[in-house]
Amino acid sequence: MKKLTYFPGCSAHGTSEEFDSTLKMVLKTLDVELEDIPDWNCCGATSAHVMTENLAYALPMRNLVLAEKLDSKTMGIACASCYQRMKVTKVHMDEQPVLAEKINSTIVEDGKYHGTVDVKSMLQYCYEDIGVDVIRSKVTKSLAGMKLACYYGCLLTRPVKITQFDSPEYPISMDRIVEALGAKATDFDYKTECCGASFSISNTDIVLELSGKILEMALESGAHAIVVACPLCQSNLDMRQPDIEKKSGKKYNIPVFYFTQLMALAFGYPQDQLKFPKHIIPVDEALSYIGKIEPEPEKVKRTKKAVEAESEVE
Amino acid sequence: MITLGVKEKNTFLPAVNKKSGANVLECYQCGKCVGTCPVSGFMDFPPREIMQMIKLGLKEEVFMANSSWFCLTCSACSGRCPREIDIPAVMEAIRHISIEEKYKSNNKKVRDIQKFHEIFLQMIKLYGRNYELRMMAEFNIRTRNLFKDMHLAPKAILKGKITLGHEKMKSAKAIQKMYKIAEKLEKTKS
Repeated sequence: MKKLTYFPGCSAHGTSEEFDSTLKMVLKTLDVELEDIPDWNCCGATSAHVMTENLAYALPMRNLVLAEKLDSKTMGIACASCYQRMKVTKVHMDEQPVLAEKINSTIVEDGKYHGTVDVKSMLQYCYEDIGVDVIRSKVTKSLAGMKLACYYGCLLTRPVKITQFDSPEYPISMDRIVEALGAKATDFDYKTECCGASFSISNTDIVLELSGKILEMALESGAHAIVVACPLCQSNLDMRQPDIEKKSGKKYNIPVFYFTQLMALAFGYPQDQLKFPKHIIPVDEALSYIGKIEPEPEKVKRTKKAVEAESEVE
Repeated sequence: MITLGVKEKNTFLPAVNKKSGANVLECYQCGKCVGTCPVSGFMDFPPREIMQMIKLGLKEEVFMANSSWFCLTCSACSGRCPREIDIPAVMEAIRHISIEEKYKSNNKKVRDIQKFHEIFLQMIKLYGRNYELRMMAEFNIRTRNLFKDMHLAPKAILKGKITLGHEKMKSAKAIQKMYKIAEKLEKTKS
């Protein structure tokens, strides 16, 4: 059994509670033991770095300091925003010892920051540390028939200097995971477009427009549902979807899953444990495609003449 | 250095460069950031123009623009910038300098964004963690828009999307002390 330090983040105990609970199920099946950071604090999210410099480093640093006292040398983070703040702090502190010394002075409890703990998003942990093959080996109920648009958002893969994970333009880690579950990942162009993030509350119009484009592109890619790894993306795309529909006059009706919900489903957990009723957009229709595999489109047969012409060109 | 009719010494450019760690002078105005930025259409001046305004030392105008507050720090621009300028860091530097100099924006959207962040930081100071429901309620009160998102509330609460209760850290006091020290550091830096 592998050990992993776990930072749930505030939303895991609120809006994204289903992410937290399904993540725990999935990691149990994958033989990973989670150890919560004792009395963790909020990472400061968008607000701290927008408004101040020192606090934006100090809040994540306290969690990193606490994590150093635990067994595992890796911290897995559920929320994409928490992950980004924690990783930015780690990278900047490791690069700039003078700054690290200064921020260390804000920690009033025992312990100082040494940089011994690595920071990973749970998506990255599943993809890199567990691996697609192990995930595939645990599948008992294939999701074959489902077509999914994997949406990564901004913070999991960008900026490259900080995250050092997957591609900032066209990431594929989540695609590979859902493919291991048997589903088909669609060719989705808006994988890393921003959903509007924290403007959800302060500037809702922008979120409706940006998230609307993502929903539109996901439908166009032929997906039955969107898959995410970020609580804020999920709530913008799911909870705000009726408002987006009202504004654009179009019907999307496309559910938004956490990748861990689908993993748990494929690992054979009963549906009633996966918190699907929490979704604003009902998931039943998307799930009904499981098992209904469309036949591959027949390849266009080329005439003998065309084959000959081609070989002549070569 | 390009000065284009600006007579006073440009102190804004070095201040932004120092704070952001980027070099704004590297920008050759290609506009790739504008095409990439998801919110450039909502900005008074898109990132490319902000870069040029910094070069020209137009501090007041840059502060007045909503651009830096509308930046979502999604880092799409910096990933594509051919000069590899950390544009989100530049936007952040603008925000921080404007706060330090106590610049008050009269753009309502900008003030709303600032209020949201202030309330969020207040929640962390009080509880050590965010309290979503109270944060939203306070935002509605402080922006005098009591019924904002109220139509979402019944469904969200019923479905357990938003919880009525909240968590508090055991050592919330440590966070309050951290705030005090961080504030002091903010004032004492060069």
